[in-house]
Amino acid sequence: MATQNGSAGQDMFVFFSRMLGVGIVDADRQPLGVLWDVLIEPFGKYAKAKALVVASGRWQKKFATIGWADVEGLAPGQGQVKARRAAVSFSATPEHKAELSLRQDILDQQVVDTNHQNVIRVNDIHLLFAEKDLVVAHVDIGLRGIFRRLGYEPWVDALVRLIRPNAAYLNKPHFISWKHIQPLSINPVSMTIKVDVSQKELRDIPAPDLSEIMLDLAPRHRLALFKTLDLAARTQLFMMLEFKEQKSLLEDLDEREAVDILNHLPTDEGVDFLGALPRPVAEKIMALMETKSANRLSSLLGYASESAGGLMTTEFIWVLETATIEEALRIVKERTLKAEAIQSIFIVDGQKRLVGSTSLRRLIIAEPGDNVMKAALKKTVSIRTEDDVKKIAFLMDKYKYVALPVVNTESVLVGIITIDDIFNRLVTIAWRRARRRKDIR
Amino acid sequence: MNVLRGRLKSRWRHIAIFLSIMGPGIITANVDNDAGGITTYSVAGAHFGTSLLWAFIPIIFVLYVIQEMASRMAVVTGKGLADLIREEFGVKVTFYAMAVLVLANFGNVMAEFSGIAASADLFGMSRFLLVLFCAVFIWWLVVKGNYKSVEKVFLFACVFYVSYIFSGFITKPDWKFIAAQTLRPTFSWDHAYLVMLIGVIGTTIAPWMQFYQQASVVEKGIKMKDYAYHRLDIIVGSFVVNIVAFFIVVVCAQTLFRHGVRIETAKDAALALKPLAGNYCFLLFAFGLFNASLFAASILPLSTSYTVCEGMGWELGVDKTFKDAPQFYTLYTAIIVLGAAFVLIPRIPLVKIMLFSQVANGILLPFVLILMLRLINNKRLMGIHVNRPIYNVLVWATVIVMVVLSAMLLVLAQKSLCWR
Repeated sequence: MATQNGSAGQDMFVFFSRMLGVGIVDADRQPLGVLWDVLIEPFGKYAKAKALVVASGRWQKKFATIGWADVEGLAPGQGQVKARRAAVSFSATPEHKAELSLRQDILDQQVVDTNHQNVIRVNDIHLLFAEKDLVVAHVDIGLRGIFRRLGYEPWVDALVRLIRPNAAYLNKPHFISWKHIQPLSINPVSMTIKVDVSQKELRDIPAPDLSEIMLDLAPRHRLALFKTLDLAARTQLFMMLEFKEQKSLLEDLDEREAVDILNHLPTDEGVDFLGALPRPVAEKIMALMETKSANRLSSLLGYASESAGGLMTTEFIWVLETATIEEALRIVKERTLKAEAIQSIFIVDGQKRLVGSTSLRRLIIAEPGDNVMKAALKKTVSIRTEDDVKKIAFLMDKYKYVALPVVNTESVLVGIITIDDIFNRLVTIAWRRARRRKDIR
Repeated sequence: MNVLRGRLKSRWRHIAIFLSIMGPGIITANVDNDAGGITTYSVAGAHFGTSLLWAFIPIIFVLYVIQEMASRMAVVTGKGLADLIREEFGVKVTFYAMAVLVLANFGNVMAEFSGIAASADLFGMSRFLLVLFCAVFIWWLVVKGNYKSVEKVFLFACVFYVSYIFSGFITKPDWKFIAAQTLRPTFSWDHAYLVMLIGVIGTTIAPWMQFYQQASVVEKGIKMKDYAYHRLDIIVGSFVVNIVAFFIVVVCAQTLFRHGVRIETAKDAALALKPLAGNYCFLLFAFGLFNASLFAASILPLSTSYTVCEGMGWELGVDKTFKDAPQFYTLYTAIIVLGAAFVLIPRIPLVKIMLFSQVANGILLPFVLILMLRLINNKRLMGIHVNRPIYNVLVWATVIVMVVLSAMLLVLAQKSLCWR
């Protein structure tokens, strides 16, 4: 009994697994085939069915795609299309280009749950007949979905009801709302994720969490997901990965995309990455990069990786000692985007030798017309490029600074070290020490 | 001079890349020589002498062909075999395949633990303590290690298979005769001979290997540009495993077969070797059995739980906590605990259980191979890396032979199940 599209006037939920194989008849109520697939629009918040795929034949299956407008009615029991059998053209393979196929792209596939921020496998799909449309409501990732697909649901349900009537298995379906689902099917042409990411919540996931999601994916999906993001997001994500994954990812990208990311990377992160590569490879990569970033990186690569020179970043804010407060504030504003730590401002002489430092707060409360040295701190602590992590940590702790200037042997300011640059190294040291103490005890 | 240095340098570079890629192929192939394999080869050598040696040449080929397909799928799709089966063939196929795989692998794990118990007997140690110690060690190794460190331990374990080669040389065989026997196939329609031949081929290719191999290639992140090195890894593995098996047969043929000693297990073989080939040979043989059993017992439970969780879409991985991946840890722990416990329970019909697992393996293998062939010829998944037509003919022929053999093995196993 084919109902008019939603003519019952009420919303009705149905599982995709129950719809598969439902008989479809033509305008003359002659059997056309069985429901094979539902194609949905990959854009928009609600995934409306755009077309049905009907399969006919037992051994040599043939497929016909029927637009939603040409569907007379569809219900869990049966479906009817408006055309006659003779007018429906069948082909050897199901066709879908831009659309998402529920059968091929969603069911049994891995998708990202942007709400819980993890990768899940879809056991079943929960559809809703609403008004004239068929929309995807949830995906089922629970055990019950597996039993339903296997055809054991009634027995397992009965068994569970017998043993524990209030089991979570029965009362709390393991559904994830479609709006949180980010499908991972790859567009074969652009090699990016098929769904428009800006509409989904993937963008809102912080880079550290997104990087963990990425690691749960197969390499090909990892790459597709990465390529779907814009350059800023890519750089953010890249910084979160371990060296091995960074390397693997760059190898898979084409040269231009890879170099773009490296150009965008903060110098300290760039040094970490290039420093871990064999020297000839690092030099080859730097030859491809923008001269400015490459020069900065190559000078930093000369330092030992655990010394201040190896850890520092060269993006910081400095002003000449002759500048006024007003000028200094303008420089801060201009450089804010690029520099890492904006709360510390360093004052240098004509030879770029460090003469003092100040903070953003001091600049704001000072008189705009005064010389910048008026706002300088009484004492400026600096470290040498060859100093080690322990010394840096000691000074940061003693003076409660979050950023320290780094000078070379001629006391020229060459970079700064912020607390996050040494933080993970400190954690490692502290952890090792704690373990040693525990061992003694 | 410079040219020579350049050439040397590039040779070192190749060797360095190979060393970094090497692992999955060699490890997977070597796990094949587990307690069950050693038993089969020992019995083959003891009862049929060198007349089965020729079989190792086609086995090398078959092993390579099948392993290579699993690896190619891993490199191209970046997904495990269970993942691909689930995504392409749906829940039903996956669920039943996984159920049978668990049964088959559980039997295999038990066989490994009984191998450990047998080697405890041989060394005059307490069965109970050694099995318990090994079970704890295996559990700890995987839960506390990562892929890299575990792989190193496993590669190191592969080295100990050399002990069989040493014991082969101790028996001072007539190499000319052995070479002739290896290169000139002899065949007999004798019932017992056929059973043995099927057994030897059957133990070499097990369903779990394809899942394990593909998963470890994915985990290692091998890329297409390094695929040639990885193929070398598989070739080396296929050769090494068969050379070791070859030597086991040689040892038993040289000693036990000559003196007409009948054996049932690898333990019998080791014990019978003592008076015939000396204490060193006995010790090497016994140590080889222990190493092989422990090695395989470390890999099977992990491989099983990975595969099952992958296929069913459950959280998995040793870097997850129990709360995050309960199914994974439950399955992993249960296989080890039950596998070890069953071996220690006195008067349990071990032989019957192992035959049962052999049956499960036999049922599963043709399905896995056919699924693999359908996956690897899927253009949407593999792109230009689908099998070439000639290769397809070769593989299909191999699969058909394997299917027929495992069907025969099933019938025979069923008969012997009825007898006991």
